Amino acid sequence: MFTTSPASTRGTGMTEWLDDFLIRSLLAGLIMVAIAAPMGCLMVWQRLAFLSDTLGHAAVFGVGLGLMLQLMPIFGVLAVALLIVYSLSRVSSFNTALSETTLAIISHTGLAGGIILVGLLPAGTVNLEGILFGDLLATTPDDLLSLLLTTAVLLVILLQHWRAFVAVSVSREIAQAEGIEVRKVQFLMYTLIALLVAVMMKVMGVLLIAAMLVIPTTSARLFSSSPEQMVSISALYGLGSLAGGLTSSYHFDWQTGPAIVVCATALLLITLAARRLIKLAPD
Amino acid sequence: MTAESLLRAHDVSYAVGGRVILDHVSFELRAAQITTIIGPNGAGKSTLVNIVTGLVSGYDGRIERPADLRIGYLPQKVYVNTLMPLTVERLLQLTHAASKDEIDDALAQTGVGYLRGRQVRSLSEGELKRVLLARTTLGKPDLIVLDEPTSGVDITGEIRMYELIGELRSRLQCAVLLVSHDLHLVMSQTDQVLCLNQHLCCSGLPESVSQHPEYLALFGQQAADSIAIYTHHHDHVHDVSGEHAGHRHD
Repeated sequence: MFTTSPASTRGTGMTEWLDDFLIRSLLAGLIMVAIAAPMGCLMVWQRLAFLSDTLGHAAVFGVGLGLMLQLMPIFGVLAVALLIVYSLSRVSSFNTALSETTLAIISHTGLAGGIILVGLLPAGTVNLEGILFGDLLATTPDDLLSLLLTTAVLLVILLQHWRAFVAVSVSREIAQAEGIEVRKVQFLMYTLIALLVAVMMKVMGVLLIAAMLVIPTTSARLFSSSPEQMVSISALYGLGSLAGGLTSSYHFDWQTGPAIVVCATALLLITLAARRLIKLAPD
Repeated sequence: MTAESLLRAHDVSYAVGGRVILDHVSFELRAAQITTIIGPNGAGKSTLVNIVTGLVSGYDGRIERPADLRIGYLPQKVYVNTLMPLTVERLLQLTHAASKDEIDDALAQTGVGYLRGRQVRSLSEGELKRVLLARTTLGKPDLIVLDEPTSGVDITGEIRMYELIGELRSRLQCAVLLVSHDLHLVMSQTDQVLCLNQHLCCSGLPESVSQHPEYLALFGQQAADSIAIYTHHHDHVHDVSGEHAGHRHD
């Protein structure tokens, strides 16, 4: 992950189709969409979307740390993200801890510290642009495997605890009184967010993670009548953004992460305009 | 009264940053009894309720309750998240699965069956209160906890709401713990009143509490005299939102 020369390992037989970098990018993108939809909805409902932004920025520090210690960068990212969410959740009033100022300080200190660390590494060790904006097109088979495994773990946990997550999003008070252990559920949620950041930074880059959690979700909210429906529709919007982003990246040589975000916003604007037209039209 | 004991609080005290919120409060909740907590603003009513429901921990003293006590809870304020699509039907299944029939029955009990398919964010405050009251009755609760169920409801709706709570208790045979700040409306069905002002000032039947010196010191003679207001009946029925119950909007 994030090395400048991804050694393209030559597969044979069954895995030969994985040699195509476009197929690999598409798969990585699909995996990201599958997890960004449910997590994005939960984070928007619980007003945690900007926590992911903070963790993303601070993840640069994790990448630097990982590379310094000669570990896979993803372990550095996970360590830093977990450390931040657990420290925040230890503060007695988590809502106060999530204030704009606290998040901004963590976010920018993490980014600044990370860039210093990365700068100390021998030239050419790391592709900073890839970290910041994603390097989907450089997805290696190893990247794909780690994305797939992490996302599978996340999805299984989400499915197992879905009712509790939704209940806590609606009302912590009701959930707690009626037998859901709210503190445990929230702790689990923060762990999931840390894992999510590690998964999504590969595709979107640390600066654009929150965009993929918020924009398709906002489009989906316009039509949804149930939490689950909002997740499915977000996934569709995510797919559309991914398709548009990859296509424009391939044809116009746009950077993939930013291209996906621009497509997501374009879809949101088109949806808003279409809704307006339908409302204005006489029946 | 010899009803079975559901929950006992022994000398519960709670302080935040050196400020005492609850001071050695003891009481007992019994099956199928209605207990009303009254007290001025800042008396610690909501904190006491949150300790009973398990939301607040870190108190001194002891709460004795069966591990499998089923609680239905109506919080004082429900912040309706407008970012979240949620129908009334789904809200009723928030913490436990419920069948369509159970949902219909629950909503019918509080007279809001017609709201079933509506989005929660489109409900008026009165409608939301009745939906939330309905959802507390699902899953065969042993105890229903209602924190200021009548806030945001006008006076006629308030009287109707108290009647409704009495009906629910008789039908479900569950205990009810009710928080109220409107002392003069503490309803006739209440079996036990806890008058709280950090410490438990007095407790007992509504009539005896209203004559207690500490109660009078807290709320004044006028409040004590007006306690009988709930016996006044209208010749027409209002629903909780203060509109004629005959009028339905879909």
